[in-house]
Amino acid sequence: MDPIASHENWRNCFCELAPGLLLFARQWVPSAADAEDIVQEAFVKFWRRNHNIEHRALLYAAVRSIALDFIRRDKRRVLREATAVAEAEPPVEPHFELEDDTQSALAAAVDSLPCDQREVLVLKIWNDLTFSEIGGALGISQNTAASRYRYALSNLKKTLQPQ
Amino acid sequence: MNEFSELENELRKLRPAQPSPVLLERVEEALEECKAGASPATQSRMPSGLANIWWSLGFGLAAAAVLILFAVVTMEHRRERGETIAQSSPASEARAVPREMEQSTSPSRFVPAGGTNVVYNARDEGLHFADGSERPVRRVRYQTQQTWRWRNPETGASLRVSYPSEEIVLIPVSGQ
Repeated sequence: MDPIASHENWRNCFCELAPGLLLFARQWVPSAADAEDIVQEAFVKFWRRNHNIEHRALLYAAVRSIALDFIRRDKRRVLREATAVAEAEPPVEPHFELEDDTQSALAAAVDSLPCDQREVLVLKIWNDLTFSEIGGALGISQNTAASRYRYALSNLKKTLQPQ
Repeated sequence: MNEFSELENELRKLRPAQPSPVLLERVEEALEECKAGASPATQSRMPSGLANIWWSLGFGLAAAAVLILFAVVTMEHRRERGETIAQSSPASEARAVPREMEQSTSPSRFVPAGGTNVVYNARDEGLHFADGSERPVRRVRYQTQQTWRWRNPETGASLRVSYPSEEIVLIPVSGQ
């Protein structure tokens, strides 16, 4: 990935970051539309305050914060809708563009990870953040981020091992 | 190369779902609104600025109140000290209140109630010829503490002013 700091145009910057940001937002909200709302709000907030894109950990921190606010705010609506569509099949919106069964299995394994490990994995693999940046975005230490990442990979390996 | 390198490569091959095409337009609109200064987020920052102003105003008023209180306490303390000095003077001499002070009486105001002039030092400075005069004069310097009292007959409140003064008396000397 090119150094993001070299992008002066928000459009280029957004196009490059958006898929990873959406994937990160979807750790908390299952709906792609809700995730897009969260990413939009976070990106506009980040850009408007003229944050240096080199400090992109702040952008991910904003996505996380807005997503958690969204969950709290939306709790009642979700409960109401959950009772209304209890019998209906929930729409499945894939997090990844899958090409074969191997990738489907891998994506399912990622989805099954504990949340704290999954968010570190998402930031590391699909957003290219360093452990230091991940620590800044999630409010944890660099060592904790590295440790969670290692646990995530270990768990994935166990899950994907042929029985 | 670590034990997870292969797994990491496999994970990187997974491509996250792309955002919908309208998201870019929505972000552009939101940023345009921000430039125009009409974004809700911009508006939400204004109360923060106002809050700062109110904080500053509050601190300013509190500081002013403290200063006023300090000044009042200091003045009261000085007044009490003045009273103590006047009352403890060893050789007090009762004096009539000046006539012009008496004339300023009013039922609703303070009326003069008396005055003292305590001479605590007198020094004879010898003979002098004052301003080209051919006759010498003896110069005597008196250092005194004068105190004046007023009283409000309606409320019973009293006011006392005490201050030091210095008086030089020239006494003509006649040749024998």
